[in-house]
Amino acid sequence: MTNRDVEISISKKNDVSIINIKGDVTANTGEAIENAYQKVSTDGAEKILLYFDKDGYINSGGIAVLIGIASESAKKKQTIRITGLSSHFQKIFHMVGLTKYTAIFPSEESALNGF
Amino acid sequence: MIPDNKIELHIPSVMGYEKIAMETAASMAKRMGFTEDRIEDLKTAVAEACINAIEHGNEMDSSTKVAITLTAEESKLQVTVKDEGKGMGKTSSPSIVSKIEGKDKTRGWGIFLIKSLMNEVKFEPSAEGGNVVKMIIYLEK
Repeated sequence: MTNRDVEISISKKNDVSIINIKGDVTANTGEAIENAYQKVSTDGAEKILLYFDKDGYINSGGIAVLIGIASESAKKKQTIRITGLSSHFQKIFHMVGLTKYTAIFPSEESALNGF
Repeated sequence: MIPDNKIELHIPSVMGYEKIAMETAASMAKRMGFTEDRIEDLKTAVAEACINAIEHGNEMDSSTKVAITLTAEESKLQVTVKDEGKGMGKTSSPSIVSKIEGKDKTRGWGIFLIKSLMNEVKFEPSAEGGNVVKMIIYLEK
């Protein structure tokens, strides 16, 4: 996925599709993130883990993209989990209410456990 | 002459340049003794204020500037962000339920985040034209 502010890669562990997001999460990089989500959805993903970069920059534009993904996943009956966020952005996600729709886990292992 | 407790910078109205203002504010806050948590809160608030100024105030006109002033006082840091334009982002409280249900656009979190993270926030027209956001973060002892 080519956008120099973000690197996206997709992997799979058992039946969980993992979208690795390294870098900025903004309106500018949103298309790349959205494309990754659409790719795994098209491939039939029911369980999706968004794996963020602890040092990444997330702004309100990026949060809007994630809300859009949460909204679409709810309609598709997919489950999204999140890991890799700094404590600051865990707080931000909680403040905007995203944690009502996606659970945040402290590690990839804990996110995959019991998924 | 700018007093040595005040820093001014002007960034172009181009998305991404808010990072310069964020890092400058963070450096000043670190010098003043703010905790890491509050520095992160400040960075997010400054970013959102700049994004608002770039996108809504200056309508992404790269010929315009966003002016950021950081003023350090003994117990607080004041940050003002000023644009040259007429518009400002929505000030209503966003609802994630409405956004998830598709009743509202997913955007519109900037002002909510600024108000949630800073101790004091004021939005007012600038005397020179445009809008100014004044944010204050208290230094907790």
